[in-house]
Amino acid sequence: MIPIVTALDAVSVYTPAVRVPIESLAEPLGLTDIQVRLFRRFHGLGEISLDPERSLADLLRAAIDGLGSLRGREHLVRYVVYGRAMPVVVPYPANPLHEVCREAGLGHALAFTVTHQSCAGGLLALESAGRLLEADPDPDALALVLTGEKAFTRDARLLPGTSIFGEGASAALVSTHGPRDRLLSFSCAQRGEFDTEFGESAERFQREYRPFLAEVIRDAVGAAGLALDDIALVLPHNVNVVTWQRLCLLMDFPVERVLLSNVPVNGHLFCSDAFANYATARERGLLREGDRYLVAAVGAGAGATFSAMVFQH
Amino acid sequence: MTVPEAQVDAALRPRVVEVMTEVIARLSERDGPVTEDMDLADELGLSSSMGLELLLEVEERLGVQIDVEKMRTDELRTVGLLATFIAAHCRPA
Repeated sequence: MIPIVTALDAVSVYTPAVRVPIESLAEPLGLTDIQVRLFRRFHGLGEISLDPERSLADLLRAAIDGLGSLRGREHLVRYVVYGRAMPVVVPYPANPLHEVCREAGLGHALAFTVTHQSCAGGLLALESAGRLLEADPDPDALALVLTGEKAFTRDARLLPGTSIFGEGASAALVSTHGPRDRLLSFSCAQRGEFDTEFGESAERFQREYRPFLAEVIRDAVGAAGLALDDIALVLPHNVNVVTWQRLCLLMDFPVERVLLSNVPVNGHLFCSDAFANYATARERGLLREGDRYLVAAVGAGAGATFSAMVFQH
Repeated sequence: MTVPEAQVDAALRPRVVEVMTEVIARLSERDGPVTEDMDLADELGLSSSMGLELLLEVEERLGVQIDVEKMRTDELRTVGLLATFIAAHCRPA
């Protein structure tokens, strides 16, 4: 019997070709000169991927179009799970998810959005897709996991003192039996006390962010039956470089094994960072057969969510 | 974190302290003196983002680049400890 797993069969990522230097975002985002210099020097930001001409549906469509292995298998896709940081992104009754599903021949699939875990929503979508497939009687059933977001307001474009968001989207085909990139573990901790709207907890959140994330990472690695040193590569959320440098010191993990090269070229792509970093790792041959790698994300806003997954390539 | 004395640039350290105390006084809006034994977070109220602003000013005014990837911020709690770290872990920019 083939064991039931959650497996990434294929991943497609779309980021707009337009790249905007962070200096030119100073005025629209209300950043001072020193804030921009801090972003460039310590946070590792350089350019932000943005395309005002493309809508949210355009971003999702472009990611789905890049998923060649979906062709001819649309009828097998039972679920489309869209992980998104922003709960509301279009006026009712517009629904870009259903629009792109219909266009892609996926109108029959159960399609829905998961939110409220902010930038950790992509991993939630992936884990939810795996659970839905596991419960599905058809062993050949597939799920499509989507992420993608427009940086469409100042709040959606800037995490003050922390990061600048860029635009992009991803599409991942998930099965229960694929041989490639199998999910070994998932760990998630939600901290409702870090609510930026109703609490004065910003400074405490800054202090406790890295220890919490380290704990979730250790949990995920332990649940996979591994030690941290077994992790060949970390695919981070692109919040910034200095956070990962300090997290690595805290965990005694070499920062060279964290793929941070997309931070200066994309900015923080909401829920899409994990998938964009996976695509980069594949393109550069950073994952060898059998490698165990870790994907981590933190969602902050109305509460905070710390998530980590371990995969085997 | 204990920094071996041999690695500390003894000529640079007093200049680091001078810049740090001036910048910290401004960032923390403090009227009284800033001394080496003061705790950056608990006594002077520096947040982590203010801490990065402090490092940037030290770098720019002294023309150095600090090895931030080696900086264990939880162990560099006082003005003096951070100055010693900087004087031991930076290179000309």
